[in-house]
Amino acid sequence: MSANHSDAVVVTKGVTKEYSDHGIPVLAVRGIDLEIKTGEFTAIVGPSGSGKTTFLNLISGLDRVTEGKIWLNGKPLSEMSGRELSDFRRDNIGFIFQAYNLIPVLTVTENVEYIMLLQGLSAEERHRRVQTMLGELGLDGFEKRFPPQLSGGQQQRVAVARAIVAQPALVLADEPTANLDSQTAIELIDRMRYLNETHGVTFIFSTHDTKIMERAKRLIVLKDGRIDSDEVRE
Amino acid sequence: MITLKIAFRNIFRQKRRTFLTILTMFGGVTLCSFSIGWMDGSYNYIIDMFTRYQLGHIQIHRQGYIDRPSLYDTIDDYSVVASSIESAPGVTRTSPRLYAAGLVSVGDKSAVSRLIGIDSQLENAATLFDRKITSGRPFSRDASREAVIGVGLAKRLAAVVGDTIVVVSQGADGSIANDAYTVVGLISTGDPASDQMALYLELADAQELLVLDGRIHEIAVVADDLHGVRRLASLLQEGLADPGLVVEPWQVFARAFYDAMMADKAGGWVMLMVIVFVVAIGVLNTVLMSVLERTREYGLLRAVGTRPRQIFWLVIIEVCIMAAVSVALGCLAGWGLNYWLSIKGIPMPFEFSYGGMEFTHAFTEVNTRSFVIPIVVVILSAVVVSALPALRAARTAPAEAMRTR
Repeated sequence: MSANHSDAVVVTKGVTKEYSDHGIPVLAVRGIDLEIKTGEFTAIVGPSGSGKTTFLNLISGLDRVTEGKIWLNGKPLSEMSGRELSDFRRDNIGFIFQAYNLIPVLTVTENVEYIMLLQGLSAEERHRRVQTMLGELGLDGFEKRFPPQLSGGQQQRVAVARAIVAQPALVLADEPTANLDSQTAIELIDRMRYLNETHGVTFIFSTHDTKIMERAKRLIVLKDGRIDSDEVRE
Repeated sequence: MITLKIAFRNIFRQKRRTFLTILTMFGGVTLCSFSIGWMDGSYNYIIDMFTRYQLGHIQIHRQGYIDRPSLYDTIDDYSVVASSIESAPGVTRTSPRLYAAGLVSVGDKSAVSRLIGIDSQLENAATLFDRKITSGRPFSRDASREAVIGVGLAKRLAAVVGDTIVVVSQGADGSIANDAYTVVGLISTGDPASDQMALYLELADAQELLVLDGRIHEIAVVADDLHGVRRLASLLQEGLADPGLVVEPWQVFARAFYDAMMADKAGGWVMLMVIVFVVAIGVLNTVLMSVLERTREYGLLRAVGTRPRQIFWLVIIEVCIMAAVSVALGCLAGWGLNYWLSIKGIPMPFEFSYGGMEFTHAFTEVNTRSFVIPIVVVILSAVVVSALPALRAARTAPAEAMRTR
C-alpha cells in the first residue's frame, strides 16, 4: 500500500489510536482519513479531549498508531525504526509547542540554529538563515538573550523561528497561542500565515480560539476522535 | 559541540545542587587520596624499618639456602661479589652475615642458640646494629672474642654484660667447634623470637670458630628506595658472575612478613570502597533528580530529532565536567594533606620502639597512586551510576514527556 498523492505532505488512512488511562482503554483517535497538501495553513479544532494533540503527535511520529497508516512526504512512518523516525523528524518536521519549549541554557541564536547543527549545516549557512529568520520574526537585537529573559510572545516567536529555519516539509503547532494574550496570539498567527504565504511552509496547528481559527485557510473539526467537518475557506 | 555547550551550561542551572555534587566528589577524592597516602605511608614505613634496619631490602644466598640452610652453602668469594653489588646504582650498603646453630652456656645454664657472624662496622652502617644495644656496648672496633646476645637469650642464660659465654658448635671441617667469648652487650632487635636465640660474633671470630675462613652465608643489601627493590634485585642477579647465587627481594625471603602486610593493606581497601559507595549514592541522587526535572526538555530534544545517544552523552558529560572539577580540587587538597603529614606526621596514640627505632609519629606518603586511584575510581563510579539516569533520559518518549509539567 502506498500514498500516491504527489502534492500531499500528510496522508492518513484509517488512523486509530487507543491508549490506556489507568487500565481503561480509551480511543483517542478513530479511523481518520486525511490529506494535507503542500502549502496549506490548516487548523485542527475541537473541544478538549477531541483528539487534536494525539492526532498531531501521530502525524509527527512522536507517537505510534494503533491501527492505520500515515505517510509524511510520501514516507510511511509506521515502517521506520526509532532512529529513522528521529532523523526524519529532524529533517522534515518543525515543532511549535504550547509552552514554547525552548532550551533554557541556549541563547535565542543557539536555540534557532540547534536543528541545523544536528543536520550538520555549515556555520556560515546557519548564521545566514538565523539572521534572516530572526529579522522576519522581529527578533533583531535579541540574539544573545536566553529564553527566561524574553516575554511569552517573544519566546513563541523564537520557537516559530526554530521550527521553520531548517526548512521542514511541515510545521506542526500544538495550541501555539494558548499561553499568549489575545493580541500577541493574533500577531503570532499572522506571522505564521505570512511565512506560509511567503515561504510556502505547510502549517498544521491546533487551537480552540475562534479568532485564531478565522486565520486558517482550512479548518478541520475533530469530535470524539473523528473528523466532524473539513472546510477549505480560501 | 552543542552537546558539550548544553552540558556545561546545565551545571549552572541549579548552583546549590551542583555545589553539593562537586563537594561530595571532592570529599571522596580527598579522602581516598588521604587514605591511600596514609595506608602506603604507614605500611611502607613499617616495611622499610623492618627491612632497612634488620633484614636488608635484598639478600643474596647460595641457591637453596633459604629453604634448607646448610653450613656448607656459602658465598666463597665474598669480597668480589660485594664489590660488584656495591657499585650497582641504587645500592646504599651491604653487610655480610654467617649463620650456624650452637649450644651456649654461661655458668651452669645452657641454651640452643643461633650464631650470627657479622662485620660489626658494616652492620652498624647498614642496619644500625649498634643502636639496638639495650645494655652494655656494641662491638669494639678491633673486637676479638666479644659477643652480643639477644635480650631473650640473656634471660634464658641469666647472663649479664661481662659474663663469659662458652659456645659449642660444629666446624665446617667436621671438628667440634668451641670457644669462649665475653658478653659486651645485650641487643633487642624488635623481634622477640629472634632475640631468644641470637648470639652475635664478629665475622672473623665466627669464621675461625666454624672453620669457614673467608666464607659467609648471606649478603644483606640496603637499597636507596624501597619501591625499586624488585627491579634492583633483578639487576643485581644479572650482574652476578656466579650462577649458583640467588638475589632475592624482601618480598621473597620474608614471605610471611610480606603476606601479613598485604593482608593488612587489603583491609584498607574496604574503607576506600565505603567512601566510593557514599560518593556514588550522592552522585546518583543528584543526577536522577536533575534528569527527572528535565524530562520535558529531553522530550523536546527527542522531538526535534536529537538522537538518544546524544542525550545519553549530554547527561554523562555534565557529570564528567563536575567530576573533573572535583577531582582537580580533591587532588590538590589530597596532595597538600599528604605532603604536610608526610613531613609533620600524625602523633601515635601510644609510642613504641621496634628494632631500636622509636615510633612516635605515623607518616603519610605522596605517591602517584594516591592520585591515580581516586581519579579513576571517583570518575568511573560517577559515570557508572549516572549511566542509568542517562539511559532513562535517552529513552524519553517525546509525546509523553511533553505532557509533563
